[in-house]
Amino acid sequence: MDISDDDVYEAMKEVEGYLDITPSDFKLLYGMAFRHAVLRLTQAVKASDVMTREVVFVSRDTPLVEVAQIMAAQNISGVPVVDTERKVIGVISEKDFIFHMGGENIRSFMAVVAHCLKTKGCVASMMHHQKAEDIMTHPAITIKEDASTSKVTEILATKNINRVPVVDQEEKLIGIIARTDMVQTFCTIFVPPDNQPKK
Amino acid sequence: MGYFEKMIGITKSPPAVSTSEITWSWIGAFFGIASVALINYNFLGEGSDLVFIIGSFGASAVLIYGAIKSPLAQPRNLIGGHVISAIIGVVFYKIFHDHLWLAASMSVATAIAIMHVTKTLHPPGGATALVAVIGGEKIHALGFMYAVIPVGFGALIMLVVALLVNNIPKSRRYPEFWF
Repeated sequence: MDISDDDVYEAMKEVEGYLDITPSDFKLLYGMAFRHAVLRLTQAVKASDVMTREVVFVSRDTPLVEVAQIMAAQNISGVPVVDTERKVIGVISEKDFIFHMGGENIRSFMAVVAHCLKTKGCVASMMHHQKAEDIMTHPAITIKEDASTSKVTEILATKNINRVPVVDQEEKLIGIIARTDMVQTFCTIFVPPDNQPKK
Repeated sequence: MGYFEKMIGITKSPPAVSTSEITWSWIGAFFGIASVALINYNFLGEGSDLVFIIGSFGASAVLIYGAIKSPLAQPRNLIGGHVISAIIGVVFYKIFHDHLWLAASMSVATAIAIMHVTKTLHPPGGATALVAVIGGEKIHALGFMYAVIPVGFGALIMLVVALLVNNIPKSRRYPEFWF
């Protein structure tokens, strides 16, 4: 968070007594201290602390019709795909559905709409007999339950993904973290306890 | 940022303190200096070889009564800075007493360095080291006793006054730390 010299000056006026520091030095210290605090807090909070435990998943041979129904019913935009040992082998998102509907030419929801209106048919019809493993993104990017939230943030940002499945030490699926979970976590960390919404 | 650009400055000066702060700074400084000055002028007597007050105590008063939150004003810095600098001043006077310009510059520069190393930086310590060299016959005659009286004992009395006076108002607290 950026603060101005004036902010510091006003704060210094509120403190009784002479403070032996200039506003710019205070700003410098504040910035560094804030970064240390963020690092400490995000490393202290683990992936298992912020993940959604009741994770919705599908198996590799789940028909895409069923996958789509599950995603619609749960109002989620992606699900992990697991094998018989509950190990994550891939992830299916709305993007995967869109990309596999019309090949190279369809890359967005509006492209799907345009295609349907133009051809008077649904581009999804060709996916009727396909299964989860046919369109999933794999290998799946996962994160261990004891990873820090700073690591989770790094993965979400660098891999440009919206959710990451959380696995235990045996690589089995135990939860999932979405970007919204991270926003909620940062809000919890940085909003003073008195100002947090009542649960 | 260029060499001359740095000279422009980057921020504004800190805000002024309250009237209460000014008043308590005055009271502290008055009693602090009065204590050592009384001993020096009223108890030691004119024929005494001892001195109890040196110029650097005035600078210490600014810090320990006027800027009591400053790290430079804390007991460790007040006592440590003065005593260490006094010893350094005496040492360099003894080594370079035939070259006072060298003794003066070496004592102040080394005092600053050693105060940094020992985390006892106290600006008046620089003056204490300098006084050991340029203070005249009475100071020179004290030898290493200079580090005890007037420096160590005087700083201790001023510290006691700081503890007593600075903690009277609710808005003030001293020290921030001891060691």
